[in-house]
Amino acid sequence: MYIGIDVGGTFTDGVVLYEGRVIRWAKSPTKTDRIRESIEEVLGQLLPEQEGGKVSRIVISTTLITNLLVTNQIETAALVLIPGPGLNMLDFRLTEKEWILQGGIDFRGREIEAVDPSEIKEVGGQIYEQGIRKAAVVGKFCQRNPDQEIMVKSLLQKDYPDLEILMGHEVSGELNFPRRAVTTYYTLTTRQEWRKFAKEIAVVLQALNISVPVVVMKADGGTMSLAASLDAPCQTIFSGPAASTLGAFALTMDDKTSVVADIGGTTTDLALILEGKPLHASKGARIGDKFTHVKALAVRSVALGGDSTVRIKEGKISIGPDRQDKAACFGGSGPTPTDAFNVIGGGGIGNIGASRTTLASLCGGELSQVEKLAQSIVDHFIDRLEENVQSMMAAWEQEPAYKVWEIVNRRKVTIDRVIGIGAASPAIIPLLALRMGCEGFVNTYSTVGNALGAVVARPTLELHLHADTGQGVYCINGHRRKLEMPESFRISDAKQLAEEELEARAVTHGLTDYFKDREFYLEEQFNVIRGWSTTSRIFDLGISISPGVVKGYKGVKV
Amino acid sequence: MKPTGIVFFPAFDWGISPTHPEREERLLYTRDQLFEEGIMDLPQIVEYQPRMANDRDIARTHFCIPGVADQATDAHRISCGGALTIADAVMNAQIKNGFALVRPPGHHAMRVAHGNRGFCNINNEAIMVDYLRYHYGLKKIAIVDTDVHHGDGTQDIFWHDPDVLFISFHQDGRTLYPGSGFVQEIGGPLAQCSTINIPLPPGTGDQGILYVLDNLVLPILQDFKPDLIVNSAGQDNHYTDPLANMQFTAQGYAELNRRLAPDIAVLEGGYSVETALPYINMGIIMAMAGISYSNLYEPDYKGHRFEKQKAGSSIKMTVERLQNLWQIREALIDDTRKRQKEFYQQQKSIYYDTDGINEQQLETVRMCPDCMGYHTIDSHASLHSGDENHVFCISIPLKACLRCQGDAWNLYEDRKAKDDVYQALYMQDKVQDRFLRYSVRDGQEISFE
Ligand SMILES: [Zn+2]
Ligand SMILES: [Zn+2]
Repeated sequence: MYIGIDVGGTFTDGVVLYEGRVIRWAKSPTKTDRIRESIEEVLGQLLPEQEGGKVSRIVISTTLITNLLVTNQIETAALVLIPGPGLNMLDFRLTEKEWILQGGIDFRGREIEAVDPSEIKEVGGQIYEQGIRKAAVVGKFCQRNPDQEIMVKSLLQKDYPDLEILMGHEVSGELNFPRRAVTTYYTLTTRQEWRKFAKEIAVVLQALNISVPVVVMKADGGTMSLAASLDAPCQTIFSGPAASTLGAFALTMDDKTSVVADIGGTTTDLALILEGKPLHASKGARIGDKFTHVKALAVRSVALGGDSTVRIKEGKISIGPDRQDKAACFGGSGPTPTDAFNVIGGGGIGNIGASRTTLASLCGGELSQVEKLAQSIVDHFIDRLEENVQSMMAAWEQEPAYKVWEIVNRRKVTIDRVIGIGAASPAIIPLLALRMGCEGFVNTYSTVGNALGAVVARPTLELHLHADTGQGVYCINGHRRKLEMPESFRISDAKQLAEEELEARAVTHGLTDYFKDREFYLEEQFNVIRGWSTTSRIFDLGISISPGVVKGYKGVKV
Repeated sequence: MKPTGIVFFPAFDWGISPTHPEREERLLYTRDQLFEEGIMDLPQIVEYQPRMANDRDIARTHFCIPGVADQATDAHRISCGGALTIADAVMNAQIKNGFALVRPPGHHAMRVAHGNRGFCNINNEAIMVDYLRYHYGLKKIAIVDTDVHHGDGTQDIFWHDPDVLFISFHQDGRTLYPGSGFVQEIGGPLAQCSTINIPLPPGTGDQGILYVLDNLVLPILQDFKPDLIVNSAGQDNHYTDPLANMQFTAQGYAELNRRLAPDIAVLEGGYSVETALPYINMGIIMAMAGISYSNLYEPDYKGHRFEKQKAGSSIKMTVERLQNLWQIREALIDDTRKRQKEFYQQQKSIYYDTDGINEQQLETVRMCPDCMGYHTIDSHASLHSGDENHVFCISIPLKACLRCQGDAWNLYEDRKAKDDVYQALYMQDKVQDRFLRYSVRDGQEISFE
């Protein structure tokens, strides 16, 4: 018995999957500041009898960290940067409490400027005096040489042993210093809250006699163990849309190209599944105006939902971005897009009479005008969704590429299908599909597609290896080690190292079942030529176990 | 404020040969630096994917021998297409300016292209300039070539064109490849002073180059009033470049771009891949995007002793000579026009260092009173393999008068009818945007599309 729970902004959804069937689902309003209670309540509905012992997998997707970040309810910490030459970080403040240190590492991990111990001492004093007890220490190119970060940490902690420090190279091995700084800072300032949540969940599950380890949903469309998430809480942001996208895939299970439209109350989240593979955002998850190193699916949030308020201003229709009430057909006051779709679709969702009445109120009570008005609202809604789908596709097609091969063999795909997720999707998806000239897919489980996605999402794992034989070192996700025999080190050796490391991690995280599905998504080799001969080699490899469904899942029976 | 557009195309899977300076590794550290800085994430920057230049784009500028596909590989088409992508974005007002950070380079590729010269097969800026004039109707364009080598290819292409101002400053041709670019090279008889060459002594640094910029380049640009300024942005003036001997710094490059304010910059040479390129490329992007470069410097910059910093007397003399020439440019052209016969002829011999080709050209230009005149080029190339290529090329400029257009087409048809000495005839009609190759041997005519 598998359980999936998606704690969304408005509702918490849950499903129980048993022998390929969704045997139960539940929905309950989310209590934003008491997420534990929301989960407890849904679990109570999902497991009415004492069935905790039968649960063999439980996956939770939650907005907890997303909420902390977007509402800025994070803990106070100092951000200590070692930028070296380049952008002047004084012009690009990333956080409120920020210090910039001397020092510098270059792209090959060579020290180009030393850190200054007396400056570090002074900065430590200033941080401590302000009552700050946490510091993120991040250097440019620290993922190629963490020595300066380690030095700063040890000097700071020598004077202030109770200062909690997180270093950039512990968080990401990818290029992009500002994203690494932001991600390190956010990790440090949310992990205490996340650890508290993890403890609470353990108590809840224990009370229900669920003994299997909890798994949490990540932004990249995969899962990780709750234990692993304790050090990487930021991976859980935007896991809701990721769960929906996986849910859409789990409902269809083929290699078609689809748009996933998760239509909520006031927003529609659009995602793409290209030839059966969920598309990732090229720049990582974005919080406010800041990019992070959190790998996330490419999701576009459009301020348009089933319950958005419809108004007429100077003869023009406007939809949203706010919500005033439920759709009239569901007993609300309306008028909403759901009411318009209800009228055009010939009813079938709630009370069609109520939909007509509320729409009539927009056109001076003229019942004869209702059909026309409803059509205009529907057109407006569909237009905006379609525009957004097209511009997402265009953005994907226009993504930069750095090799001749990639440009020459540029993929061109056409959209085969729109998959609807969310309560309003049965009314809206058929018309959107008609407009886009493709198949529309909605089924019984569309309304709980997000929780279904969580329940079947498989774990993902990713690892980046950078090796520089000239420097005699290699770095895996920011951790540097010595190369045994740099002179004879070749790409096959690099690939072997990456695979061994991935396998070791797969074993640690209990996902050996999926190791066979690993793929190299990046394979670069450069000869370093000095004079007219090769003096050394540089390798960049990326290997991953990408999103998919858990072993044994073959699709849901309707 | 609109953003600055970047096409970054490092061609990580293309090199002339594994150990050649123009190799896969060239922009690796630039990639690392740009990506680690996260500069592409800033709202001031927007990154574009390059498109591929098609045969027509290339044939509008070059006579590729025997055909476009023989000179332009996929890598060349993408590099050139990167410049065209930026050009479109500038013209469609999506960006305020743009930088095509692309390789392979192009500024040594001449109008007739038999092979690779100075690491170049096709000329990215020249193709972009002709594209901008044809598709967007731009009238006057200025190209400022800031590569340490003389941009002899670009000079050759626009030699007779009074509407394209080509200014190149470079290390003195007596001390560096390609051995040209002297003060007296000022353009064809009807386009005098639309080519300006500023040879600089080895060792010239930031102050010397900025002196030339402030006292010569910027005033000339002000007089010329171009619709668009292109920086042919080589980076081999840097003090660590292995192929040249100048003393320019990343700060200097950034300052140059701030003052020049080009609409479009296109990367050319620069082979100090670790110690210069990552920092210069950052500098150019920062300057174009209006981002402070106060914290930009090379790792060894602080300890480096920059000698010969001040602009020396030889630079000042060169500048003065060119200032004087520029003042009398109209008189020079009037005078030449009076003395010339109907056709002007010029013999040229061109060496292709990379491919070992010797080419002899006889160029003929009609001294038309109504336009810049149609051109013909009789080109005879001896290839490294021992093969010979002998071709005849006709070019009708974009603003050719009706008489020149008609006469040029008659000449083409006449030659086709004759049993000629040539292997092929080429027609480049920039007015109709039609580009043809006629094979004398089999009588086949193809059109480059
Ligand atoms: Zn050069
Ligand atoms: Zn004429």
